[in-house]
Amino acid sequence: MDKKTYKDKRAKEVTQLGAGHTEYKYEYAPQLLETFENVHPQMDYWVTLNADEFTSLCPKTNQPDFGTLIINYIPDVKMVESKSLKLYLFSFMNSGEFHEDVVNKIGKDLVTLMQPKYLEVVGLFYPRGNISIHPTFSYANDEEKYKAIEKYRFLNRNLNPQRVG
Amino acid sequence: MKLNILHVKENTHIQYMSHELLFLAQSGQPYRGTVYINFISIGETFDLLDFKKYLTSLRDKKLYAEDIACEIYETIAKSIQTQDLGVIVDLTARGGIQQRLCYGTKFDAVQKKNIFQVR
Repeated sequence: MDKKTYKDKRAKEVTQLGAGHTEYKYEYAPQLLETFENVHPQMDYWVTLNADEFTSLCPKTNQPDFGTLIINYIPDVKMVESKSLKLYLFSFMNSGEFHEDVVNKIGKDLVTLMQPKYLEVVGLFYPRGNISIHPTFSYANDEEKYKAIEKYRFLNRNLNPQRVG
Repeated sequence: MKLNILHVKENTHIQYMSHELLFLAQSGQPYRGTVYINFISIGETFDLLDFKKYLTSLRDKKLYAEDIACEIYETIAKSIQTQDLGVIVDLTARGGIQQRLCYGTKFDAVQKKNIFQVR
């Protein structure tokens, strides 16, 4: 694909980036997510997205919760467009979500969106009642190689626990 | 919003900090930041539960970034008597630019480590 064709194709795929006016949604809105095509699908490479401004509400008390989300994935054909991801993550602002649920929900939405080779979502939530919760979602497609990555990372996660404080 | 008064000893140097400040820019995009409050007690401070509720009430308020420190300062000043009240707000970067807003008496904000950062 020549450069011009690639640029034109990419511009059509993403509607929110550079749109001029951005509408922010404050209730869960997975329809905001957009993708663009991975031009190196033959390669295995990691993409890490850090979202330090994640916030939602406690579904029981309605009090705000905050956290950092770390999304690591190995793309296949589709990749998530980062502005659409930002808007999607902001859309949790007034949604009632338990930490463990929301990490799984985001992971599943991204798997549905991209069908990646491998994907994980780590939530590092701020402490509440002196306890911080760090759930991890992981997914691998059916290929043995990615299943092995998932298994290895799942089994070894607690060898390097996240330290808080 | 008015904060309830709690009585404390005079001449106590009090500094509060929260990483959980959130309000809306005029565009509707959420702003995140850290707020530092510093004053010398003349016998009063405010109820921290009220202050938490006040911070939460800002989540759906549209404010110019430059006004946020003044907004918090005035809420405190209307609620309690203090000496040398100052408010500093550090906002997360937008478009690669980080903002610090200060209102009231100057002070050194105690930079506590962000305990949520991955190491």
